[in-house]
Amino acid sequence: MDNSHQAYGQLMAWKRDHLMTLFIWLAALMVAGAFLWLLGDLLVHGATHLSWSFLVDAPENAGRAGGIGSIIVSTLLILTVAMLAAVPLGLATAVLLTEFISATSRFGRLIGMSLDVLAGVPSIVFGLFGNVFFSVYLGLGFSILSGGLTLACMALPIFINTAEAGLRAVPDEWRAGAAALGLSRGAALLHILIPAAAPALTAALLLGVGRAMAETAALIFTSGYVDRMPSSLMDSGRALSVHIYDLSMNVAGGDANAYASALILIVLLMIINGIAQSLSEKLLQRRIITA
Amino acid sequence: MFKINQLIASVLMLAITSLTYAADQKLVLTGSSTIAPLAVELGKRFEKLNPGVRVDVQSGGSSRGVSDARSGLADIGMASRALKDEEKDLKSFTIALDGIGVILHKDNPVKTLTDQQVIDIYTGKITNWRDVGGKDGRITVVNKAEGRSTLELFTHYYKLKNSDIKAQVVIGDNQQGIKTVAGNPGAIGYVSIGTAEFESGNGTPIKLLPMEGVAASVENVRNGSFPLSRPLNLVTKYVPMGLVKQFIDFTRSKEVADLVEAQYFVPLPH
Repeated sequence: MDNSHQAYGQLMAWKRDHLMTLFIWLAALMVAGAFLWLLGDLLVHGATHLSWSFLVDAPENAGRAGGIGSIIVSTLLILTVAMLAAVPLGLATAVLLTEFISATSRFGRLIGMSLDVLAGVPSIVFGLFGNVFFSVYLGLGFSILSGGLTLACMALPIFINTAEAGLRAVPDEWRAGAAALGLSRGAALLHILIPAAAPALTAALLLGVGRAMAETAALIFTSGYVDRMPSSLMDSGRALSVHIYDLSMNVAGGDANAYASALILIVLLMIINGIAQSLSEKLLQRRIITA
Repeated sequence: MFKINQLIASVLMLAITSLTYAADQKLVLTGSSTIAPLAVELGKRFEKLNPGVRVDVQSGGSSRGVSDARSGLADIGMASRALKDEEKDLKSFTIALDGIGVILHKDNPVKTLTDQQVIDIYTGKITNWRDVGGKDGRITVVNKAEGRSTLELFTHYYKLKNSDIKAQVVIGDNQQGIKTVAGNPGAIGYVSIGTAEFESGNGTPIKLLPMEGVAASVENVRNGSFPLSRPLNLVTKYVPMGLVKQFIDFTRSKEVADLVEAQYFVPLPH
């Protein structure tokens, strides 16, 4: 009697375990599947249109023909401006929040709340704000600079939140150790805390880049619609996402090149991911292990 | 670190030099997303013929084009409709024509709808295709977003108020309308005839309905017999002079008819 009960219990536990395993595998497969489906769809529809000339030529006939050379350049310039503005500001704010003031202080709570609200603001609102503030009020017009700075505003909250979490995850013993060794706060930050938080900071950077690269609504009214090769940051330049949106929603017969452009966008994101990850590993090794 | 410093320095240099750099002559156009792709192509040809001139085109909708032309933010606004009474202080110049037609999914057996039936469908009085001679099935009404000139022309023609329209889907741009109807056998929408003709010719499962017995075709928009058509206009605050006049004259000339047709619009008669 006892034996059979035990056997039954074991059987149920076995079943439960396997059901659980099955469910976890299915969930993981679905996530991977969604990505592969998307990538496959883009490959099927877009890969045949890819060529070297597509990457370097200027768009023709409203983007139906020609390439996306000028658009890739504009996209990268907008991204560079956005990151150059967002990373120092964001890192400084995250350091302030974790190292210099208490998160429960009134000022800390105020910043935290502002960031949460900003993170939830729809991108079109950032676009209109950027248009009014950067393009009109500051007189930057429709330009890569306006677009990049608008994106920086958008990417900041998510960057700060992730960077803050990364810095908080560094154990307090390290701070105490640095202080005991007579390191100044600045030196401790530069040589210990920031390198230790490098993986989280990279993640923060990548989230920011991802949000920036995917952005359409914030850019239509700031960096604009011009598809010429930009000759300066004050030129209007069409971002890849705006180009894809226009080709698929506004240009009859633009679908094929929209797919090809989307494929390039994904590949660009993957390349940036790869570079950022290897940089963060290098930073981690150089600072902590040899210093 | 040295490399990053160098990068930052070079980007700053680029930014500073760029602030002092300006093209010899620059025209800024903003407005209708329908006209924007055509304006880009017109601008490129104009730039080629007039070295040193730059034509920057921004999109955003007809209402924006009108307000930017008035505020001076743009040298020329783009509006894919005639000016309204309260906008008559501005000058408008037609560069092409475009027809607006009602589209259904290709598998929908309904061949024609009277004006009254279209009105009843859009105001929610008719909600099933059975009531207009189709198969049993719910009608999905696709409407354009507020501020789009296609919406204004459509409601003006059928004497509807946008607040009376009971839409299931609200869309922005033209292609979005075509894709929405192509993906939903029960949908009804209204879009630019030129692009709809091109899409259905290329296998997209949509069809254009005739209006008042006149087939919705580019040909009938050209000869003026199709009842629902609109001008594509360039709008300026003052009587055009200098470069603005030169550009507007160019866009209305015979030499750009091929560009107009390439965007599936109807060139002006010459």
